[in-house]
Amino acid sequence: MLEFDGLRKAYETNQVLQGVSFRVAPGQMFGFCGSNGAGKTTTMRIAMGLARADAGEVRWNGDPVDEAVRRRIGYMPEERGLYPKMKVGEQLAYFARLHGLDAAAAKRSAELWAERLGLAERRGDKLEKLSLGNQQRVQLAAALVSEPDVLILDEPFSGLDPVGVDSLAEALLEQCRRGVPVVFSSHQLDLVERLCDAVGILARGRIVASGTVTELRSAAVDRQLRVVVPDAPTGWAAGLPGVRVVSEQRGDTVLELGPGTDDQQVLAAALATGRVTHFAWREPTLVELFRDAVTDTRSATGTQEVAA
Amino acid sequence: MTAPARPDVTPRTPTQLVRLVAGREISTRIRDKGFLIGSAVLIALILGMLVFQVAIASGTDTTRIGVVGGSPALGEALEAQGDALDTEVTVTGYDDEASARSAVEDGDVDGALLSPSGAQPELLVESGGGQTETLVQGAVQGLSISEQLARAGVQLDAPTTVDVVALDPDADADLEAAVVALVAVFVLYTLLFLFGQFVAQGVVEEKSSRVVELLLATMKPWQLLAGKILGLGLLGLVQMLVIAVIGVVGALAFDVVDLPGRLIGTVLSVVAWFVLGYAFYASVFGAAASLVSRQEDLGSVLGPVSILLVVGFFFAVPSAQDPTGTLATVASFVPGVSPLVMPVRMAAGAAQWWEVVAAVVLMLVAISVIIRIGGRIYAGALLRTGGRTKLRDALTAERA
Repeated sequence: MLEFDGLRKAYETNQVLQGVSFRVAPGQMFGFCGSNGAGKTTTMRIAMGLARADAGEVRWNGDPVDEAVRRRIGYMPEERGLYPKMKVGEQLAYFARLHGLDAAAAKRSAELWAERLGLAERRGDKLEKLSLGNQQRVQLAAALVSEPDVLILDEPFSGLDPVGVDSLAEALLEQCRRGVPVVFSSHQLDLVERLCDAVGILARGRIVASGTVTELRSAAVDRQLRVVVPDAPTGWAAGLPGVRVVSEQRGDTVLELGPGTDDQQVLAAALATGRVTHFAWREPTLVELFRDAVTDTRSATGTQEVAA
Repeated sequence: MTAPARPDVTPRTPTQLVRLVAGREISTRIRDKGFLIGSAVLIALILGMLVFQVAIASGTDTTRIGVVGGSPALGEALEAQGDALDTEVTVTGYDDEASARSAVEDGDVDGALLSPSGAQPELLVESGGGQTETLVQGAVQGLSISEQLARAGVQLDAPTTVDVVALDPDADADLEAAVVALVAVFVLYTLLFLFGQFVAQGVVEEKSSRVVELLLATMKPWQLLAGKILGLGLLGLVQMLVIAVIGVVGALAFDVVDLPGRLIGTVLSVVAWFVLGYAFYASVFGAAASLVSRQEDLGSVLGPVSILLVVGFFFAVPSAQDPTGTLATVASFVPGVSPLVMPVRMAAGAAQWWEVVAAVVLMLVAISVIIRIGGRIYAGALLRTGGRTKLRDALTAERA
């Protein structure tokens, strides 16, 4: 279990993290979302020992993450970085060795990962000769080459084309199947929604929502029902008890049901108007959940500021 | 739950990490074109100096003189004159004027002396007489004077000779050793600059490419810096030794120096001072370089710290001329300057043993201080990318 516990961090007067806590179970893919400047990178850098937390700690299997544990973490920094003039194969083997593999195992692993990520023919080339997309693959290979126990990746998908996204996603899912907890940050929420078992939304230095996507959805208050009734007259649902019409356009109606309102009565009313081509609860997308979560804190902090 | 333990994964000790970093530095640098060309130029320069020395040293020439009908006394007189004029004389006898004439024309001899004991001796030369003329003139006149005196009945005693007393018998050797030391210090200065520069470039490369974040996730800043300095230092030392061996072997083979023992001693002391100087300057250059994030900005931080090295080199030359002077004596104790001045004074025999010990101790103290402060600056500035980090910020930063 990888635990982030009450991380606080201030740069001079700027409180970047105000108690960030979340847990990632082995084999879990944890998507870390938040607006720009929310503190995602700082959180990850603290885990990697590149920044020091003012309070709180990161634990792996109950023990604080120290240098020995970090050697077993695969890390991809937000600012990509490798030796531009070093050959791809040698570079991967070097990082494998720094992470504790002996020379022979490092060489084998470097070859293996270059091959898996489609870089087999580029092993002998200097990194700077590769396209940006391929450099990104090398960066990922550098994080994976030591077969780490934990993966922490800062915006691993940014700058990848759809094919690249798919192959990276596949590589990460495979790590999860091995039992490795994977934490990655991303702005691409559809991707997070598709890949992640659990999501944490960071806003203003706090985790404002976390859990599985399903949990987040059920926690969302305003669930909406979409009913498409092409033959219905305008305002067909307006009179139904406990129902609020959110929008209506040529029979495509979005409704919000009050507590205790039976959706089957709505269906009956819809059928009474004629054909029903669509009747379904609309699941809020992660984008909507994210927007809600972030807006909530904004108004909350707003009030705090007024109170203070 | 723990992920499956791998048998081929072992925890890394600091020594192992430092060795890994050093190994990477060596294997990368040894294949670097700039490094290879630089090394080749330096070695070519040393060989060039040797050839130049050999060319100058072979300046003692010989004067070949042909004689028709000479006497043993004439041969002796010619050789005596040759000694006075600092030239070796070879005398070849010819049977007649014609064969002597053709020898001069063919360049077999520099001049041919005809009827030396006659009333009117004649010297045949190709064109101008020059040194040959002076030599033959002196010999013939001397011979004729002693013959006239003998005919007049004057009995000559053996002429009085002068005893030579050398006040400083080692002076020539001291000068020679100082010159050798100066050449060696020049190499030392070049290599200090070169390898200090390599350390600095390496530090900035890791910062500008941001690879430093990945590295620091596996090791501490001091391990990274130590590995870099040790790896490049080893390479520098090997290069210093290669040049030293070429220089010494070449000098001995071409007989450029008179005292091989002193030459080797001087070269060894310069190699030892290189180790001290490198430890000092590599730490300074490495720490200074960590303050900037781009190669273009390197000049602005290396400029001020290079001054000490340049000053040291400018003190080395007057120290060879006046190794006991105040300037040389003081400079040979100043840490950072001492590696460039003390070897020269030592070579010239102007430094007492305790002076050398004192200079080494001062240097070691300075190195330990530099490593401590430099390491702190490096650790504080390493993760601050973008722009130039202020020295004070770096010193107080630790890991923010």
